[in-house]
Amino acid sequence: MSDLDRQIEQLKRCEPLKEYEVKALCLKAMEILVEESNVQRVDAPVTICGDIHGQFYDMKELFKVGGDCPQTNYLFLGDFVDRGFYSVETFLLLLALKVRYPDRITLIRGNHESRQITQVYGFYDECLRKYGSVNVWRYCTDIFDYLSLSALIENRIFSVHGGLSPAISTLDQIRTIDRKQEVPHDGAMCDLLWSDPEDIVDGWGLSPRGAGFLFGGNVVSSFNHSNSIDYICRAHQLVMEGYKWMFNNQIVTVWSAPNYCYRCGNVAAILELDENLNKKFRVFEAASQDARGVPSKKPAPDYFL
Amino acid sequence: MGPQGKSVASGNSMQRVKVYRLNNEGKWDDQGTGHVTVDYLEGSEDLALFVIDEEDDGNILVHRISSEEIYRRQEDTIISWRELSTELALSFQESMGCSYIWDHICSVQRNMHFNSISNEPFPGVSGELQELPPVELSTLPLLVKSVAEGCITDQIRVAELIAQDRTFVPKLTDLFRVCEDLENVDGLRLMYKVVKGIISLNSPPIFERIFGDDYIMDIIGALEYDPEVPQVQHHRAFLKEHVVFKEAIPIKDPSVLSKIHQTYRVGYIKDVILPRALDEATIANLNSIVHSNNAYVVSLLKDDNAFIQELFARLRSPATSVESKKNLVLFLQEFCSLSKSLQLVHQMRLFRDLVTEGLFDIITDILQSEDKALVLTGTDILIIVLNQDPNLLRAYIIQQEGHTLLGLLVKGMITDFGEDMHCQFLEIIRILLDSYTMSGSQRDTIVEIFYDKYMDQLIDVVASSCCCKGSVRTNVKSTGLVGRVGPQSVTKPDILSNICELLCFCVLHHPYRIKCNFLHNNVIEKVLYLTRRKEKYLVVAAVRFLRTIISRNDEFLLRHIVKHNLLKPVVEVFVANGNRYNLLHSAVLELFEYIRKENLKSLILYSVECFWDQLEKFEHLDTFRALKLKYEQSMESCQPKNPRSSIGDPRKRIDERALEKEEEDYFNEDSDEEDSTSARISNSCNQPAASVLINGDSTNYSSFREGSVGLVDYEDDEEEDEDGQKEVSTPHDMPPDSPTSKRKMEVIDHIDQELPTKKHRTKKTQNEIIPSRDDKTLNDTIPSRGGDAACSNCGPDQLLRKKAYHQNLNGSHDVAEGQKEPVAPSRCSNCSANNSFNLREASEEEPSPLTNQVNSSSLTDGFVNVSKITGSGMPKFSDGKPEALSSEPPSGTQASEPYSVR
Repeated sequence: MSDLDRQIEQLKRCEPLKEYEVKALCLKAMEILVEESNVQRVDAPVTICGDIHGQFYDMKELFKVGGDCPQTNYLFLGDFVDRGFYSVETFLLLLALKVRYPDRITLIRGNHESRQITQVYGFYDECLRKYGSVNVWRYCTDIFDYLSLSALIENRIFSVHGGLSPAISTLDQIRTIDRKQEVPHDGAMCDLLWSDPEDIVDGWGLSPRGAGFLFGGNVVSSFNHSNSIDYICRAHQLVMEGYKWMFNNQIVTVWSAPNYCYRCGNVAAILELDENLNKKFRVFEAASQDARGVPSKKPAPDYFL
Repeated sequence: MGPQGKSVASGNSMQRVKVYRLNNEGKWDDQGTGHVTVDYLEGSEDLALFVIDEEDDGNILVHRISSEEIYRRQEDTIISWRELSTELALSFQESMGCSYIWDHICSVQRNMHFNSISNEPFPGVSGELQELPPVELSTLPLLVKSVAEGCITDQIRVAELIAQDRTFVPKLTDLFRVCEDLENVDGLRLMYKVVKGIISLNSPPIFERIFGDDYIMDIIGALEYDPEVPQVQHHRAFLKEHVVFKEAIPIKDPSVLSKIHQTYRVGYIKDVILPRALDEATIANLNSIVHSNNAYVVSLLKDDNAFIQELFARLRSPATSVESKKNLVLFLQEFCSLSKSLQLVHQMRLFRDLVTEGLFDIITDILQSEDKALVLTGTDILIIVLNQDPNLLRAYIIQQEGHTLLGLLVKGMITDFGEDMHCQFLEIIRILLDSYTMSGSQRDTIVEIFYDKYMDQLIDVVASSCCCKGSVRTNVKSTGLVGRVGPQSVTKPDILSNICELLCFCVLHHPYRIKCNFLHNNVIEKVLYLTRRKEKYLVVAAVRFLRTIISRNDEFLLRHIVKHNLLKPVVEVFVANGNRYNLLHSAVLELFEYIRKENLKSLILYSVECFWDQLEKFEHLDTFRALKLKYEQSMESCQPKNPRSSIGDPRKRIDERALEKEEEDYFNEDSDEEDSTSARISNSCNQPAASVLINGDSTNYSSFREGSVGLVDYEDDEEEDEDGQKEVSTPHDMPPDSPTSKRKMEVIDHIDQELPTKKHRTKKTQNEIIPSRDDKTLNDTIPSRGGDAACSNCGPDQLLRKKAYHQNLNGSHDVAEGQKEPVAPSRCSNCSANNSFNLREASEEEPSPLTNQVNSSSLTDGFVNVSKITGSGMPKFSDGKPEALSSEPPSGTQASEPYSVR
């Protein structure tokens, strides 16, 4: 069994890797991710997953429902970290799978894959707590910069974490973004990761999130039309039922963190597309207490102060 | 029995409610408005909620009050619950009425519980709790009810009672031991609930008691018996047997020792035992216990002179064993790290004292250790100090003989640490060189030392790690590109990538210094050797470095790029990459987009004339079509060139050349710039200018191109840049009208501001360096990221800084280089991760995040607009509640995160 396979097994038990293993993994991941495009092509069949947010045991439920990688081809729409208790293990497992099976799993960037955001919403603190230094955070956030911004499934389904941008009317305009940077505060790259569709908005509206935009049905229609796509698949917003269609089935939100923050009471969903792009939503609930095991957040076993 | 209190007088606004039901689409349906009462269900002893329609007296709602914990109270006016998979909610007109009904529900529930436990109702249940149940095995169920299952008002009362009763906790821990002795599992599980309930009461006086030395282990013991976890946890065994309390220097004060242990155990309870069970308020209170303990410990130790003296004496002493030294350093690290709990002014003083004691000498020593882990600990200490006050270290480095420490840091950055992470070195150097946190002469000095002594080292590492080092100049044949694979050097790619990142940082922070350093030493060219590395991310890093240079919009740098044909390696890797749409592809396209959008004429002309034959096959890409178009527009505005004759060799630079000499050279070269530059371009491209200009209108050329204005038309740029407005309003095809003599004057101007010896710059040259970015057309489309992408980690921060910089420039034009670098509104969050950041606030252009928005159907994250608060938990939010019913306010201790409800 290779080191990588062993690490994957270890991560599947929710045991984080050693610092040096993280470093090696990140360097390998960098070489793979640098070859990906801003609009990464993905073949069907594929299973699309929304936000995970460090809910490791719920992600294991997801794999139970959707099947293991590499048997199932996965597309994750970002927001792997923050909020849950296991951002480190969650992201490292996905990254290890990416390195092991680069063609069977696609990871794109969410708004939480950012230095600034992770310093507030948990990932930074978790790394500090679990490793005693923030080096792992530094390496992971460096990798975030390499993650692709969106995906295009069989030229027919556009997938992105947040939504559309007024600066982007054709998919080809995404091409000229040098994505290797911290998520900016504005501009196309920011919008792709931050925007939300909104019923009451006609055209573009200010986002209450303070970044990205709200966009209405007409925006989606014209985007889909001019890029000849069937619909947009995105994540970024909690939906109690796990998924939600909007604007006459032109855009769908997929949310994959059940009982978000361990208290929202929502169910989660993944979207399975078969080779003919037939859709099947698989809804699942949070992992039971038994499946969770004991939180492995043990602090360093020795202390001076 | 309590709740017959049904003051049902219809029309009483106290009990006026709206009833809502959640429909299948997740929307809340209004079921009607009426008055709510608590009454017996007909023919039963069960109590129920009734809502009588205010119009027709029919029942809108009849709901038997459940003993289950299904009720939630939100804000002051909403009670909601789930009943047979239906979500229902009562929205009260008045909060008084809501409290009244809520209390009823609680007391009914309590009665039901007590009845089921002991058949005899606990006295005073419906009124205020008078006293706690006795702490006995038989009353444990009652204790559980009182402590853990009452409504909020009861819990406050229970907390009061426990706090007042000094015997309660001792009795409880005694009882726990009895249960454990008897191996009474049921009792122990109840004990778990009681203890968890007591912690959840979140009462600081109670915490003080239960976390005292006498009781805390029993409290933790009780928490081992979680009824929901099948196997018993062994927390005490872990704490007693596995956890090691290490004393580098013996601590004598028992109160300090006690706090140290308490801190660890409280942290353990919070993070390991009950992370899921505690609400944010409780976690916040536990954090504040940890925080204030740390402050107590650190401040007592730091004021203990004997202790500090001994610490440093032993760190310094050669007699100290390796193992003991290691522990001392680890202790020092923890000590410095915990000082974050002190007030800012005390932190500052502490670090100043430590430095006076010789902290940096010790670190200098540590960094020379063979033990890499120890070296890295040393760097961690430095980062802690730097985040507090970078000037302490700067001052030390400046005065240290031989600048040993800085040398060690640079060495650390380029040393192969094998498997270990060593990104700290980059971070330390970056903080040291951060022009936004420096002041006065210190900055000049440290930057000078760095450039004089160490920049070359870094560049050499880059240059020597790529094949064909030194020998490859601008005239490499494009076939040479094939040999790009196979770097012979062993330099680890992550080191090269760190160097590249630091160089980008330097370009942004020391724009004038890099100009003379980079130009004299052919640094840009050497860094571009990285394009030959096989690691694609290093190739991209090199492209990004060039992009950062270009983002300075500095005519001298741009001219240097043209003169040395520095886009060539970039174009070559781009072409070799073919149609693969990867990060390299995008980075190069972005670079050309930037050149076009910023209208960097010299580069537009250079790019198209030199590389069009290679780029032509990518004409299907908008970027190159647009670039070509821009080029053609430029050509229309230019006069035709004279035939280019003399071919200048690429200038050989001599590194040792003195600055004065360099100055002269610049002057000399610039005086025949127009010919040599254009000539070399055409030469290096090996194609006649005419063939490039195929799409141009030849009649225009003949009419415009009369003078000896060079291909690279600097004048035009300068003209426009002189007035930011003009660039917007003037069509680009205006012919230039400046005579050559004026041009030369301006070249002299350039030199003036270029040379480090002449610091005063004029208004004009400043504008040249950063042409107006207020150009509306740029902002309207994709807002230009400017050089912001360049420092990969500092993108957004740079944007803001740049804005500040603009303001700075507009405000005062007589800025002397090296004295008034732009002041950053905030520090780069990446360069020092521990900094609080308030970037959003810093920029007036950023939309301000709205708080408490309820128009989005999700739990949203707002863009960060808050300083990081230690220990802030997750945001409060309400789930599954209708907008009409409003939502819970965010918890006061949190980052105010915009949230919404659905």
